[in-house]
Amino acid sequence: MAAKKLRRAQLSQEMCERLSRYQITTCQDFLCLSFLELMKVTGQSYYEVQKLLCKVSQACAPKMQTAYEMKLRKSVNPSSAFLSTTLHSLDRVLHGGVPCGSLTEITSPPGCGKTQFCIMLSVLATLPVSMGGLDGAVIYIDTESAFSAERLIEIAANRFPTYFDSDEKLLCMTRSIHLYRELTCCCVLKRIMSLEEEIISKRVKLIIIDSVASVVRKEFDTKLQGNLAERSNFLTRGASVLKYLAEEFSIPV
Amino acid sequence: MQREVGTLPLAPALRARLAAAGFQTAQELLDTGPCGLSKEIGISREEALEALQVVRQECQGDAARTAGGSGATRKCTALELLEEEQTQGFIITFCSALDNILGGGVQLTKITEICGAPGVGKTQLCMQLAVDVQIPECFGGVAGEAVFIDTEGSFMVDRVVDIAAACVQHCHLIAEAQQEEDLRKALETFSLENILSHIYYFRCRDYTELLAQVYLLPEFLSEHSKVRLVVIDGIAFPFRHDFEDLSLRTRLLNGLAQQLIIIANDHKSAVVLTNQMTTRIGQSQSTLVPALGESWGHAATVRLILHWDNSQRLATLYKSPSQKESTIAYHITSHGFRDVQPPAVTHSTEGTELNPRKRPRTEEGKQ
Repeated sequence: MAAKKLRRAQLSQEMCERLSRYQITTCQDFLCLSFLELMKVTGQSYYEVQKLLCKVSQACAPKMQTAYEMKLRKSVNPSSAFLSTTLHSLDRVLHGGVPCGSLTEITSPPGCGKTQFCIMLSVLATLPVSMGGLDGAVIYIDTESAFSAERLIEIAANRFPTYFDSDEKLLCMTRSIHLYRELTCCCVLKRIMSLEEEIISKRVKLIIIDSVASVVRKEFDTKLQGNLAERSNFLTRGASVLKYLAEEFSIPV
Repeated sequence: MQREVGTLPLAPALRARLAAAGFQTAQELLDTGPCGLSKEIGISREEALEALQVVRQECQGDAARTAGGSGATRKCTALELLEEEQTQGFIITFCSALDNILGGGVQLTKITEICGAPGVGKTQLCMQLAVDVQIPECFGGVAGEAVFIDTEGSFMVDRVVDIAAACVQHCHLIAEAQQEEDLRKALETFSLENILSHIYYFRCRDYTELLAQVYLLPEFLSEHSKVRLVVIDGIAFPFRHDFEDLSLRTRLLNGLAQQLIIIANDHKSAVVLTNQMTTRIGQSQSTLVPALGESWGHAATVRLILHWDNSQRLATLYKSPSQKESTIAYHITSHGFRDVQPPAVTHSTEGTELNPRKRPRTEEGKQ
């Protein structure tokens, strides 16, 4: 939204050309300037600049929705609001399971079972909706190379023996789990940025990143100056993209 | 009338031409007339007419202001302010200890900032306030609507449903205990659907959308004149990453603060912002301070810092023009923001065992 070109904000052609001479081409550049600068750059009077500001703001402002509309939209499809973890007490505490449309973070000391939990969630996501799954593909971004496909099949076969009774079904399930091995922060960020198209093309219903901390700690030494800012930059940028993906497609991350 | 040409809100090119032609005061412009003006500085007659209209408007505004006019002026005596402040309502938070240290609750026409570490309850408090602002006046509320601008995506509708249901039930209990007709009538409009439909939700993904939304807020508020609360949940989040130019960030934040102050005053609504905490690394130790820097600290009138002490949540009033600094403990239950224990002096109307304020104790025990 920020990078929206002024041309599409319904400003007149000559105004856009005039602004581009000052290197103001997107809504973001326009809104960052103060009133006086805007007057100088557009050559308009105070009231005209106010009107222009309104027009540009309307082009990028988010749409309004009341809380009631949001609730109605959610209640239309209650089953898709959560991914049940099949651990009943956990589901009860989480109010239904891992919520769709928001980020969930799993942390623990090493060896507690985070990766196992992630593998199990991947199996659950591929199950059909009637069995409590999401009937979709899974994107698994692995930074520690801890994902074991054999373990995946073992979990699936032992947990749901009636469903995965044939090899065919197991193969189908494994085909819908897409594994990406990324070993640096840069690659992880690039992968996250490219996820949007993959989600649509492969009908992805779950994104798992295992784990964020390992790759960040490897690369950024907090004792060095400047690294702290870069690290938080990377983390917040990744987080905002993931939040956007989670909300836009209503999937758990 | 003696206003200098350079101070009029005309286009810069026009002002340059007027200065080059030798015009100095607004009176001179008005005396010349549109045709003379267009000939002297070489613009079309329509443009000259427009310019003169702007000048006339400005001079009239000036005259009204110097004569002590009404409406647009911001000048009044302290006595009028005192009367206004005493009749002003507060938005209660359902936690009486917090209301006490705030002096009655969140004040209208002021900017309140809530800072805290992640998970301490900032968004919960905002959602509680968005429901509480709609309490009808006969129950002690301000009967207004709420605008919720979300930058972090932590607004959960189900949670708001829980909080609103608890609030409605609380009011029902009061109405039953007091048995007054107008209370019951007010309750008919205070239902779950109404509460949810009067929370206007905007989801801003980055600071450009936030800036755009705040520019458009005054118009929105004039259309929805019953709005008494504007919540911006997460004002720090869009400004903390992707900003290489810190001076631009300061400038944008200051501009934002100014606009919010104007909105709070003009529309008599409370503005509540939530901020994150950042670590300030000193010589020997590091402390948690509110994010966005020192200059942002001047923007808010009232600052509330939420923090943990072992497993107890505390709220400290850090900055306030009228209340002293103090710390209280609070709980977040399934009904929302509540006291740690029920207040020692309860109202006679809330004496029943089904009082939701007393429920938290047993629920805490269960957990």
